[in-house]
Amino acid sequence: MSTDVADSAVTPPAAGPPPGIVVRGVSRSFGAVRALDAIDLEARAGRITALVGPNGSGKTTLLLVLAGLLVPDTGTVRVAGHDPVADGPAARARTGWMPDAFGTWDTLTARQVLLTFAAAYRIPTATARVRVDELLATVHLHEYADRPASVLSRGQKQRLGLARALVHSPDVLLLDEPASGLDPRSRVDLRILLRKLADEGRTVLVSSHVLSELEEMADDAVFISRGRSVVPETITTRSTWHVRALSLGALTGWLTAVGAAWRPGEGTPDGPGSVLLEVSGDEGAAQLVRDAVAAGVPLTSLAPVAGALEQAYLTLEEERR
Amino acid sequence: MTSMSPIAIDEPKAPEQPRISRRGTWGVSWHGVRTVAQLELRQRVRSTRWIVALVVWFVVVGGLTLLLSGFLSDAMLGTGNSGPLMFGAVVFLVLGLGLLVTPTLTSTAVNGDRNAGTLATLQVTLLSPAEIALGKLAAAWLAACAFLVLSIPFLVVALFMGDTPPFAVVRVVVIVALLLVSVCGIGLGFSALVSRTAGSTVLTFITVAALVLLTPMLFGLTFSSVEQEENVQVWGPVDGSTFGEDMECGFTTQVQTVAHTERTWWLLGINPFVVVADGAGTGPIVHDDYGSSADPLGSIRDGVRSLRTPNRVDNQCYYASDSLPANDQRGDDSAIWPWGLAANLALGAAGFVIAVRRLAIPSRTLARGTRVA
Ligand SMILES: Nc1ncnc2c1ncn2[C@@H]1O[C@H](COP(=O)(O)OP(=O)(O)OP(=O)(O)O)[C@@H](O)[C@H]1O
Ligand SMILES: [Mg+2]
Repeated sequence: MSTDVADSAVTPPAAGPPPGIVVRGVSRSFGAVRALDAIDLEARAGRITALVGPNGSGKTTLLLVLAGLLVPDTGTVRVAGHDPVADGPAARARTGWMPDAFGTWDTLTARQVLLTFAAAYRIPTATARVRVDELLATVHLHEYADRPASVLSRGQKQRLGLARALVHSPDVLLLDEPASGLDPRSRVDLRILLRKLADEGRTVLVSSHVLSELEEMADDAVFISRGRSVVPETITTRSTWHVRALSLGALTGWLTAVGAAWRPGEGTPDGPGSVLLEVSGDEGAAQLVRDAVAAGVPLTSLAPVAGALEQAYLTLEEERR
Repeated sequence: MTSMSPIAIDEPKAPEQPRISRRGTWGVSWHGVRTVAQLELRQRVRSTRWIVALVVWFVVVGGLTLLLSGFLSDAMLGTGNSGPLMFGAVVFLVLGLGLLVTPTLTSTAVNGDRNAGTLATLQVTLLSPAEIALGKLAAAWLAACAFLVLSIPFLVVALFMGDTPPFAVVRVVVIVALLLVSVCGIGLGFSALVSRTAGSTVLTFITVAALVLLTPMLFGLTFSSVEQEENVQVWGPVDGSTFGEDMECGFTTQVQTVAHTERTWWLLGINPFVVVADGAGTGPIVHDDYGSSADPLGSIRDGVRSLRTPNRVDNQCYYASDSLPANDQRGDDSAIWPWGLAANLALGAAGFVIAVRRLAIPSRTLARGTRVA
């Protein structure tokens, strides 16, 4: 880590899984609005954790508490082993936070913005220069390094914001809707970057509404609704899959024979077609492929109708507010 | 997909209200202050608008100085030296314009950044709240001092017109600079306190206007309330003596109306213009056959200082005024400006402290209708 925070008094965490983020019973109200209501959450180091929930469910509020900007009314928080409330500087030195909405200083160039933040994190100038060049290349902004940050496009600003959150090589990354405004190419880059950061042993907590995308990058998911963490019922149990074969007749015939409850999809019995089928998890899907091939059914594809995250999300009873 | 197994971590006993450590709030390092000040200067100041402002300032102060000197040399023809009058006029011009410009330098420093969404990202870094506030204050003060430095040539011009001690320029510049940093502090405090930039700007201007305009008004309005009839010692002609050169004087007691301005003089004492006039250290007012020397700074100084001792012996011994025993003649002649300046600086410091406290994170309360991000 290139941060040199005077923190030698803190003993290194004991052997075992690195702490990452631990939230226990955190509540936070804004007047009458209970934005967080005794929420529990864990995000482990080396993994990408998705934070999913409807509008106004308290995702941003939770990230603000984790970033050390808001005091929770009750509950305890540990970020990289530090309490952002009692030991703010130590926690903040290890936390990279990217807000969902942020501004840039009009007259500074992208490079100056990053250098300023490096200085604010007490990174020595020489180290900072190297680091900033590295980051500008990472987020593909080196072309714009010396142009005013205010003329960057929305997506470019978003990427600059990501670089800003990474400037001090934080152990814990808190990203609030980082992909909004990004083009498809940048989304892929973001995914690869976050995976790389997680593989380096960092804790990554990402909030987003684009579930298909979270699905591809997240290892874990935390659902939050009305300020509470909720466990969706159907996750990793049964989900709907789209099964396609060269001959729809052969497929439906076989399925009926084995007693599977299928629903018609598309296609005519003579030609190629598909059905919808309830399958229990990935193991169930593998089993289905094995059995179908053994039975001589000309399978062409097998895919979940919607992402597991999306399905889980839709099973949440709670509504958006 | 969701896998939430508890992570072994020594869980602290949860207190009802988490304790906030303010250990890092007041920590200040040169590096941190410089980082913020540099950012502020780059952000607000290093733009063409700023150059234009400096040029306009130079032209306005220079133009008014020229006009004044032309006017004075006509008006004062043959009636003595216009140097002190010129010096006083330029000093008040610079102070007045400075008090007009400076509030805008900090009055949006905190809430402006908050609205632009750049404050929270700065707060989560290792910069302490005191460093952020001090950096903003330093940048604004430097900008204000740039205006002041541009005015020095005109003060020097007035100096060359004579009868002003050269050291007065240094004293005036230092005192005005300290008054301006107070205004910067006041603006910073309001910008941290009020969420709308327009509101904090107006409040800062109102505070400055109160210091400048309201204090003499209040002094005037309260004047009649501090007046009362009482017995006064009068040094005047004793019974039987003739008016004229050989007048003989002695103490008598008369009932007169006395204004107890020793209760209200401080209203003028905290006025920035009085502070500068009192602290400028121009020469003593000379009363000679042509009248008093035209030194506005010195006149204000002597006037306000004398308000502190209103029930001096009333000297009615006109033709032999020197005959009054010396220790009865002199009022309190100690300087006012250290107190006035301290009062202004205290206001600025209060603003600064408010700003630091408002910048401290994590925050428990937010201003109504604002979000952190
Ligand atoms: N500063 C504030 N003052 C008052 N209410 C607030 C404040 N911040 C958040 N809230 C309320 O708290 C709730 C949670 O807000 P939050 O921003 O955390 O939602 P979110 O999950 O991030 O939503 P979104 O998906 O739309 O970004 C909302 O009902 C919001 O209106
Ligand atoms: Mg949000």
